[in-house]
Amino acid sequence: MTHLEIIDLHKDFSGLHVISGVSLKIAPGERHAVIGPNGAGKSTLFNLISGRYRPNKGRILFKGEDITGWSPLKINRRGLARSFQITNIFKNMTVLQNIENAILARKGMQFKMFRLLKNMPEVPDEARSIMETISVAEHADAPAGELSYGLQRALEIGIALATGPNLLLLDEPTAGMTKEETREAVTLIEKITEGKTLIIIEHDMDVVFSLADQITVLNYGEILASGTPQDIKNNPDVKRAYLGNKICF
Amino acid sequence: MKNNKLIYLAIGFVVLVLLAVFPFILPKLQLNIVIEIAFFSLFVLSYTLLLGYGGLLSFGHAAFFGIGGYLTAIIIRSFPGVHLLLVILISAAAAALAAFWVGFFCVRRSGTYFALLTLAFNQFFFAVALKWSSVTGGDDGLGIKLGDMYLPFVGNIHMHSTTNMYYLVMAVVVLCMVGCWFLLKTPFGNTVAAVKDNEDRAWFIGYNVLRTKLTLFTISGLIAGIAGSLFVLFEEFVSLGCINLVMSTQVLFMAFIGGTGSFFGPILGSAVYIYFTEWISGITENWEFFLGVLFILLIMYAHRGLIGIIGFVVDRFRTSE
Repeated sequence: MTHLEIIDLHKDFSGLHVISGVSLKIAPGERHAVIGPNGAGKSTLFNLISGRYRPNKGRILFKGEDITGWSPLKINRRGLARSFQITNIFKNMTVLQNIENAILARKGMQFKMFRLLKNMPEVPDEARSIMETISVAEHADAPAGELSYGLQRALEIGIALATGPNLLLLDEPTAGMTKEETREAVTLIEKITEGKTLIIIEHDMDVVFSLADQITVLNYGEILASGTPQDIKNNPDVKRAYLGNKICF
Repeated sequence: MKNNKLIYLAIGFVVLVLLAVFPFILPKLQLNIVIEIAFFSLFVLSYTLLLGYGGLLSFGHAAFFGIGGYLTAIIIRSFPGVHLLLVILISAAAAALAAFWVGFFCVRRSGTYFALLTLAFNQFFFAVALKWSSVTGGDDGLGIKLGDMYLPFVGNIHMHSTTNMYYLVMAVVVLCMVGCWFLLKTPFGNTVAAVKDNEDRAWFIGYNVLRTKLTLFTISGLIAGIAGSLFVLFEEFVSLGCINLVMSTQVLFMAFIGGTGSFFGPILGSAVYIYFTEWISGITENWEFFLGVLFILLIMYAHRGLIGIIGFVVDRFRTSE
């Protein structure tokens, strides 16, 4: 059974067609990379899947359920979480609180008014274990906005992870990272996506080829090619589209 | 850490003792001012919950203060035997219901549009209070006569006495403030903070942002309603001044004077506002002008209010040590 199925998805903004008929099937446990030049529609695709935008045409099925047009809230509750290309954390809250926010929501505690947070030690306990996983534990009490860029990117992923998803969408998680930070990020992503399905948007081909089981190439809102890393490397259309492009194999 | 907690508890204890003995050490005039500061602090706290903690700027908060006040007057006049605590409860419920209704429409918008909508709804309630004069007294307002309030173990309490009114107001205000204090330390309090910090991300990690804002707005309206009820019990009178834009502006002033980022800002803000206006209106007829100047200076140079100034001074003191 497919984990995520996208059927003939279309999205346009005031006449500008950003996604023009994308169809995709993603199996459970798969690590799927979405690549393509800037403006190809990759982030828009994520926005459509995660509920920020409503498609003009087409359907999105998550674990067989039609989630087309659902709010981000409802989709997240079903087990789909995403991280953002531009860091989207709770800047004025501590790193610990950032993770706790996700845990509290996952446990359905957002509206509890008759219990004190300090009497719920299981929340910071779980938050600490997630912070250890993403290596930000020593900054637990620092305001998230004061973290270095690399640590903020780790926190960015950690927040999505803490919502307990079985499908994780990571939007350019290594953007702006050094080679060393990128290597650490790849190790982290491998660790946290064990037993989960991953869809990752990336520009760094090293990351793509070390992580992905399947790759989809997006160009002008359409799928240029989709298949195994070998298929993509050898695909003449992909080579042609990227000739003279920064992306090289 | 432990030391800090002990210090806070000690300060709290001293404050409670002071509050308990004020009627015996303060002259009546001063006691009246303290009562005023008490229920206005509660009103401003309801506003600070919305603005400081929720990030929602309302220009129409007097609507709920006024609804609480008018309900209190109407119930006491129409059903004289009803226990005062029940009157306060019903007035609070009415204010909460109104806040739920208003909030339902307003929280779907943000920033400027939210503020303008709250203003519009305030004007609606003002118009109702003005026009439905058979119930609200219209321009003339409504006067009430307070009888006795029965409490078990104590007996009948003569509510016309300033001292007894003081204790009623203080008890209700302290209870509500303690309630708000703890509310901010619950998961819901955290939800409010998260939504204020990053509404967008909150949606994506499973928070219903609209429902959060509406819940906060309703609670804020409920507390404002309690404050309005206490106002009318104290003044023994309700008028359009409780529900008009001047009152909505007044609560905003008080909030900013004290500082919207702190739980104790409302108390400081109401106290300073009330003492300042008492003092300056005794000196000049143009006191509103000076109030305006004060407000402009505040927003330009000390937008975190007095709490902000105190914090700044304390920090400077600490770093110079």
